[in-house]
Amino acid sequence: MTTPAIETEGLSKRYGETVALESLDLSVTRGEVFGFLGPNGAGKSTTINLLLNYVKPTDGTARVLGYDPWDEVVECHRRVGILPDRYDTYDGLSARRHLRLVSDTKRADDDPEALLERVGLADAVDTPAGEFSQGMEQRLALAMSLVGEPDLLILDEPFTGLDPHGVALVRDVVGAESARGATVFFSSHVLGQVQVVCDRVGILHRGRLVEEGSLTDLRAKLELGDDATVEDVFVDLTDHSARSGEGPQ
Amino acid sequence: MALPRWFPLARNEARILLTSKGPWALAALLVLWAYRPSYIAWDGLGPDMTVGFVQTTATIVLPLGTLLLSYRSIVGERRSGSLKFVLGLPLTRTDVLVGKVLGRSVGIAVPVTVSASVLGLIGLVRFGLFSPLRFLAVLLATHLYVLVLVSVATAVSAVTTSTVRATGVVFGVFFLLLTVFWKLIASRVYTTVSGRAANPYDAPADGLLFALLRVSPDRSYRVLTNWILGVGNSGAGYDAVITKLQTPTSINVFAVEAAFESAPVPVYLHELTGFVVLVVWLVVPLGVARYFFERGDLV
Repeated sequence: MTTPAIETEGLSKRYGETVALESLDLSVTRGEVFGFLGPNGAGKSTTINLLLNYVKPTDGTARVLGYDPWDEVVECHRRVGILPDRYDTYDGLSARRHLRLVSDTKRADDDPEALLERVGLADAVDTPAGEFSQGMEQRLALAMSLVGEPDLLILDEPFTGLDPHGVALVRDVVGAESARGATVFFSSHVLGQVQVVCDRVGILHRGRLVEEGSLTDLRAKLELGDDATVEDVFVDLTDHSARSGEGPQ
Repeated sequence: MALPRWFPLARNEARILLTSKGPWALAALLVLWAYRPSYIAWDGLGPDMTVGFVQTTATIVLPLGTLLLSYRSIVGERRSGSLKFVLGLPLTRTDVLVGKVLGRSVGIAVPVTVSASVLGLIGLVRFGLFSPLRFLAVLLATHLYVLVLVSVATAVSAVTTSTVRATGVVFGVFFLLLTVFWKLIASRVYTTVSGRAANPYDAPADGLLFALLRVSPDRSYRVLTNWILGVGNSGAGYDAVITKLQTPTSINVFAVEAAFESAPVPVYLHELTGFVVLVVWLVVPLGVARYFFERGDLV
């Protein structure tokens, strides 16, 4: 019996009076691809920021690969691959240098060129990141998250800034990493891209987890037809929670 | 022995600086700024005047340049978002601070060493062989001062959320008050506390005044390097100290020898306290910053 890849209990984050995340109980099993969905401002990034030790919780506990994400950050991050949201790369450093920083710190021996080839940047290995387009930057960030064959990938809005080729690339990478045995946890507000790759989804609305399960489970539970998309499930859930006033105001 | 965890980050920081123009422009400026041969310095030091040039690099230009190259190191990355990659690495936040400070310090110490070497070469050719030990000792003290400056700027950078505030504290408080105008401020504070005038032409033989003057890392650096140069116990520039202590010229410089004459000098005014003050400036602000940086929200 292995520990879950991610487990939170009562995880909460408040900024003064503002509730960013309200008592999140979440469990992501090892090896699954988990889509973390919700509209902008629902608390997805807050959750990821907490799991990555970018911010500290107001309340609650979390375990990432069995580690305390705040007190055991070194052990934890050694096995986690991270693609943050709203980041910036170092303009003056080449793509190779970016990957070296990650692999040297993680004490992994990945070949930067092989990783860049995987994300379609094989011909930009020594180009300074300052010359990259938004899509290229996102591909570089994806390559950085893959360093050291992480046991868990945490991807925050990985489809941001990508053209259709890039979107397909992310899907392929997620599929390949999952096939390798890695757990993938990613957030998105672009719902259509989620159902293709996810084993399970969790839907966050106004700082609360309003539903989680496989898409099939959710369709059945909400009495939607078999052809109901993630969008339908999502709209149904968020409407419902808005009407019944479940979400914090 | 394994390299410390923060080593790749430090190397990255150094590389970012060494591949950009800023530090090298600073290096060129330091040579132009510090090459000031004078008859007084020659009379006081002979060929070791060249070592004095190295001390002069650390007046105004080096602190200003170093602070400029460091004050955004964390708050800037926090704003842009590149800090997310750094925080995503298997490093504690303390590792991040240490890596940043040491990496940036090397990125500035290398061009500073180049400037000192150029000054050394010019001095060697024009004024003859100086003491290599003194040269090395002053250069090492200068490296320590760079480390202090980077550490203070990084500490401020780590605990502020706005670049404007970081600018205000680093340049308004640290650079202006503690570096440029400290002699004036320390004199005023001394007069307020003791009720005695702090006239630099006729300074009172009071340990408090000289201790206050030494609070500034800038003056402490010069106390230390003037000691290495053997010109006197003072936080002023080496050439001013020589003028004060070795010529009949009256000059508004505080020097322990001039104030105390034959009276006993308190032990805490030994020149080595300059070193102690620098170490305190290296450790305390960063230690305080670490406390908040470890606990705070960083995005």
